[in-house]
Amino acid sequence: MMNVWTLFIPELYCLLMAVVFFGLAMSARPNPRRDYFAALFMAGVGVVVALACVRLEGTLFFEAYRVDLFSQVFKVMLAMGFFLVVCLCTELNGIEERHHPEFYLFLTTCTLAMMMLVSSVELLTIYVALELSSYSLYILVPLRRGHGVDVEAGIKYLMVGACASAVMLFGLSYVFGVTHTTYLVEIIHVLPGVIGTPAAIVGLLLVLCGFFFKLAVFPFHFWAPDVYQGAANQVTAYIATASKVAAVAIIMRVVALSGGSSKYLVDMLVTLSIASMTLGNLVAIVQKDMKRLLAYSSISHAGYVLIGILSMSATGYASAIFYALAYLVMNLCCFLVVVKVSHDGSDLKIAQLAGLHRRAPLLAMALMLAVFGLAGIPPTIGFTGKFLVFAAAMEKGYVALVIIAMINATISLYYYILVVKAAYLMEPDEELPRLPVSIPTKVLTVALVTAMVVFGVAPSYLLEVARAAARMLM
Amino acid sequence: MTSSWFQDPTLLAAMLGALLPFVSFAVIMVFTRPYPKLSATISVAAVSVSLICALSLLSRHWHLEQPIQYTAKWLVSGKLYLPFGFMLDQLSLLMLTIVAVISFLVQVYSLGYMAGDPGFARYYAFQSLFAWAMMTMTIAPNMLQFYVFWELVGLASYLLIGFYFEKFSASEAGKKAFVMTRFGDIAFFLGLLLVLLHFGNLNIVDLNSVDVTARMSPALITLSAILIFGGVAGKSAQFPLLTWLPDAMEGPTPVSALLHSATMVAAGVYMFARIFPFFSKSATAMTLFLAIGTITMLLASTMALVTRDIKQVWAYSTISQLGFMVMGLAAGSYFAGIFHLTTHAGFKALLFLCSGVFIHEYETNDFFEIGKYGGRGLKVPIVCMTLAAAALSGLPPLSGFFSKEAIMGGLAGLHNPIWLWAGLLGAFLTAYYSFRLIFAILFPKKIEEVHHEEHGGHGHGHGEDHHHAGIYWVMAWPLIILATVTLVLGFFHTPLENFLVGHHGGAEGHGGGHHAWLLYVAVGLALSGVGLAWLEFGRKGASQVGFVERIEPVKTLFAERWYIDHFYRLFLDYVIYGIFSNLFTRNDRRVIDGGIDGICRATVGGGRVLSFLQSGMLQYNLMVMFAVLALVALYFFF
Repeated sequence: MMNVWTLFIPELYCLLMAVVFFGLAMSARPNPRRDYFAALFMAGVGVVVALACVRLEGTLFFEAYRVDLFSQVFKVMLAMGFFLVVCLCTELNGIEERHHPEFYLFLTTCTLAMMMLVSSVELLTIYVALELSSYSLYILVPLRRGHGVDVEAGIKYLMVGACASAVMLFGLSYVFGVTHTTYLVEIIHVLPGVIGTPAAIVGLLLVLCGFFFKLAVFPFHFWAPDVYQGAANQVTAYIATASKVAAVAIIMRVVALSGGSSKYLVDMLVTLSIASMTLGNLVAIVQKDMKRLLAYSSISHAGYVLIGILSMSATGYASAIFYALAYLVMNLCCFLVVVKVSHDGSDLKIAQLAGLHRRAPLLAMALMLAVFGLAGIPPTIGFTGKFLVFAAAMEKGYVALVIIAMINATISLYYYILVVKAAYLMEPDEELPRLPVSIPTKVLTVALVTAMVVFGVAPSYLLEVARAAARMLM
Repeated sequence: MTSSWFQDPTLLAAMLGALLPFVSFAVIMVFTRPYPKLSATISVAAVSVSLICALSLLSRHWHLEQPIQYTAKWLVSGKLYLPFGFMLDQLSLLMLTIVAVISFLVQVYSLGYMAGDPGFARYYAFQSLFAWAMMTMTIAPNMLQFYVFWELVGLASYLLIGFYFEKFSASEAGKKAFVMTRFGDIAFFLGLLLVLLHFGNLNIVDLNSVDVTARMSPALITLSAILIFGGVAGKSAQFPLLTWLPDAMEGPTPVSALLHSATMVAAGVYMFARIFPFFSKSATAMTLFLAIGTITMLLASTMALVTRDIKQVWAYSTISQLGFMVMGLAAGSYFAGIFHLTTHAGFKALLFLCSGVFIHEYETNDFFEIGKYGGRGLKVPIVCMTLAAAALSGLPPLSGFFSKEAIMGGLAGLHNPIWLWAGLLGAFLTAYYSFRLIFAILFPKKIEEVHHEEHGGHGHGHGEDHHHAGIYWVMAWPLIILATVTLVLGFFHTPLENFLVGHHGGAEGHGGGHHAWLLYVAVGLALSGVGLAWLEFGRKGASQVGFVERIEPVKTLFAERWYIDHFYRLFLDYVIYGIFSNLFTRNDRRVIDGGIDGICRATVGGGRVLSFLQSGMLQYNLMVMFAVLALVALYFFF
């Protein structure tokens, strides 16, 4: 029995963290420094724990829960995302001090839920894990101190999320009806045989909706801009990174169920992917707010990552995993800059970046690299990710899709370069003081930048890991 | 292999040597730019380590049998496999050492020359970038990596030539150098692609093996060799791409010493040597290269006859000596070409650095002026420069003599005697123009009573005399070291030959031996060149007007660089700007710009429209969501 619980260690550790923060939330006097350091330390240990558990394999809870390389790699990414987001919380000014322990608590439960999500191989477990993560976020979004925007965002998020969940449950019932089982292992045997029937394919589509909501794929993207803007910067950073990674993982699991034999499913994914990319990129062009821009950029990136997934080949899945990781790093880097530049916790207008290259040269450089990475310019990790995704699609012969994606990447370059232009070429109206950048922030920035460039130039190690993880799906 | 890199001293040294300058570049650019002293220290320290690594590699592998290769996978695309790594063989080891030595000396020298310059830190950053690019290029195991770093060398040199970018002519010169070399590089790259397509890989070792003839037809080899040679012509300023080099003297003088004598321009010749066996598979191409080398050498020497700018003289002489090296290589004397490259690196760097001292001191580039102000008063530089000029002229027992003789020997081995005669004529001209300059400084018509000590105060921004003396000695030491090298390097002829081509000599048979008469003729011609210079410039009451300068049209022809630049200008104006640019601009404005603007407007407009839809109410959003879902579901049913 001992063995079984070993498999569950990363999740247990998250649970432990949640308990600790629950305890801290009980304390009468708010103490943000204490909360921050507790979170930082525990999140750091969490990464180590996740790394230590990366080679575990086995099943738990009546086969409903599978621990394999695929899930463990994603758990490492989640733990890392969590840790890095906590790193951004030195000045958590967007949230009232007495709510800090709650903030960390829900961040932790959300991470826990996502870790469970990437390991779940049974429909109801998946649903429960997904809802747990969503509910944590429903609370985190309106937690922001402020003037009602947050509440609007929170409600919008909840409503869209609730609809997506409803649709998903509906789909689950179809899938169950067609296959008479809730275990993915068994579904994967039955479903490819009946994938031609409308009930099966519609069921699968509806199930995917729940995850598309998480990933902000068209048409479930409506929440993204408002929530990105309305939530506190750190919460947005978390939603934009860790929760996206988990969504990518579970979409891959579900899509892999189809066995790659359904033309309809591919067509649908292609359509949604193109719609997401195009819509995200076009609307991003006219944005003035940095977080809104990143929201639309995330919608378009959801489209790119779908390209890797819809290839339904080992290289496709591996490229999607790589892309998810790349996206995590680049986006965190962007949010790092957002958080540091608007250190009072307010929303950041793109125009406010003016003169950043003199106010904080390191941050400006990090922003430039991250944004170029998002646009897919070599030698950043973003280029490698896009390249791999496109290559996987080309292998399957989706030339038109790749061309559309490339046109989209070009369009996206426009608004990404606007950001760089603001940071490097525009001068602020009045002279602003230099931004104080602490040593740990510098270290973090340099580490992120190094990761972006090094893995952009020499991606082979990460790619091997991604390939090994993707093999678990096939 | 990657796991044990720290256990293998060779790999460690190669990695350290090649990477440290880059680290230094990055550190300076990112962190230490506001601190000039610190930046310079970092850069010099990095290049010192590189130098130590290079020297230790050379001594360690003096008896190297097989090339040592370390490669790691970089990119795999389909059947194409692109490795990245290091290859150490005799040639690359030698070149690595040359580059490291020259970079080191130039950086030390620059401590004095560039002192007080506002761009001091930037200067050292670029120096480091250059050293990194050049060293990594030297030890590249395949032509693609070679090409990548070749271009980086071009970039670094562009930055260094245009270092005084606020000066219009300097930024123009930087651009000219970049564009003209790029012109050759296009051909180079096309050649590489041709080889890649037909041969399948770009590893230098494979290119040099006999396989090539089996997999590529002779015509194809000739074509690709000529295309690849385009790169050599651009980088090493060979005819017809030679006019950028004299202009590139706009950079600081140590930069000229580094780039345009010993390393960057020599990169072209190095590339020739690097895939020499490949080139030599095509006799047609080799003859063409021989002709190009000869034309370059003669053209450039004639240009050097009439200029009054000290750096220009050495610039033309560089071109002509590079032409000479290409001649040597193209004549089939692999060793002779490289040997001349080595010796030339030493004495040409010395010439430039000496000139730098004069220019720094008197703030003029005109060597007649320098002479007039009492240039001979600066003992170390004038002695060193005379020595180097003698080496350049090929006078025994200096290093240039040995290498020139080796090339002459190679030329004499050819069937057609015209190449040899051209070479000898070149030697004569070289001796003449070198000593024209030397005598003009040594024996000026009259010396104006301005001594550099008094001069020190106003002309150039660094005040007191003892400080000044310190700077002078920082600059003098590299000169002395290089002068020593110039003196003794010639005697290492045989060991170097053994090192580079092995003991079996083979094709190198015609050294001196059965062409003993050649030795006398060559030295005789060089001496007569010196003599003529003495008659016209040196002796008392000499007119100080050269024989060429008496014939006005010829003088103009030479001074205008045979109108090559004019020809380019006209060609650019009438053909490129007049016809192509005009048409393309119109096409650009009307069709492309119009189209792009239209697309952009449409895109932005689309964004506006969509964002308008986006910012709707929640109910509306949800409706869209379900509508799309319903549509997709419907699609499945039909």
